[in-house]
Amino acid sequence: MIDPDGELVRNAGAGDQRAAEALVRRHLPKMVGVARRMLNDGAEAEDVAQEVFLRVWREAPRWQPGQAKFETWMHRVALNLCYDRLRRRREKTDPDAGLAVADSRPLASEEWLARQRAAKVHEALAKLPDRQRAAIALVHFDELSNIAAAEILEISVEALESLLARGRRALKAALAGVAQDLLGGAEGGAP
Amino acid sequence: MTRKEEAMNRERFAELLAAYGADFRRWPAETRADAATFAAQDAEASALIAEARELDSLLDEARSMPTPSADLAERILASAPRMQRPSFDRRAVLALAACAVFGVVIGYSGGLLAPPAVAEDDGYFSMAFEAPTAFEDEG
Repeated sequence: MIDPDGELVRNAGAGDQRAAEALVRRHLPKMVGVARRMLNDGAEAEDVAQEVFLRVWREAPRWQPGQAKFETWMHRVALNLCYDRLRRRREKTDPDAGLAVADSRPLASEEWLARQRAAKVHEALAKLPDRQRAAIALVHFDELSNIAAAEILEISVEALESLLARGRRALKAALAGVAQDLLGGAEGGAP
Repeated sequence: MTRKEEAMNRERFAELLAAYGADFRRWPAETRADAATFAAQDAEASALIAEARELDSLLDEARSMPTPSADLAERILASAPRMQRPSFDRRAVLALAACAVFGVVIGYSGGLLAPPAVAEDDGYFSMAFEAPTAFEDEG
């Protein structure tokens, strides 16, 4: 298996700044994105992304191409850091902490509707069990293949499909009528 | 009909739809062609697809993400490993410096140890112009 990041990782590990920059360019948006979807908090997501790269720099000098691709390993690190934060968050605070709250301020109706729908979706995603949310983040939002997502989550493709299906079913239930409600609300309240 | 096409029935189609949504590009690569064929032939497939697409569209409402902080990449790169200057460079500089010092020392000490050129010349001159006393004695 040829790892598309193999050479960059080796060079970055040897102190090549250009290779390090290329790795950051290639992977930082994905790491921030998956962490944001898991944590629903921008600042925390950036902290996670930074921590992922600290581990990348630490591992790069001794990275050996093996069973997992480097990107898979990075995703696993990011998700594990997110799981840790979510666990600590649950221990410390109420379960709704960190959820996006639908904005009640009136805005131009199209923008307002879009924001409200996005907030509802984020809220519904945040309430999913962590593994289901991770599966949907990887497959729907990051558009990774089923095989890549299953590798990251260290489960079989069948188990991934089960997580996805349960997650989508829960989202569908949570978001039932969202579009219609918001349209009705917009007619009555939003300018 | 091939075995692969036989494997795609309504039950499997609904399972895949429930997991991956309505966009076949998210489906397992090996099922996409069969899924498209099945969807074109099955009377109920389009209703199932429309239902899944509704959730896909809602999820897509939450697709866009705020841009990460401008300095995040800089902060990350600041912690990246730095290229160490190759050690032979420093050795080469040290060796050159040592050579220069050695050269100066040798040059200076050589100047001190060598007999003064003027005194030597004086000796030759005095020998050359000295009176040949020995020949006078023999004669």
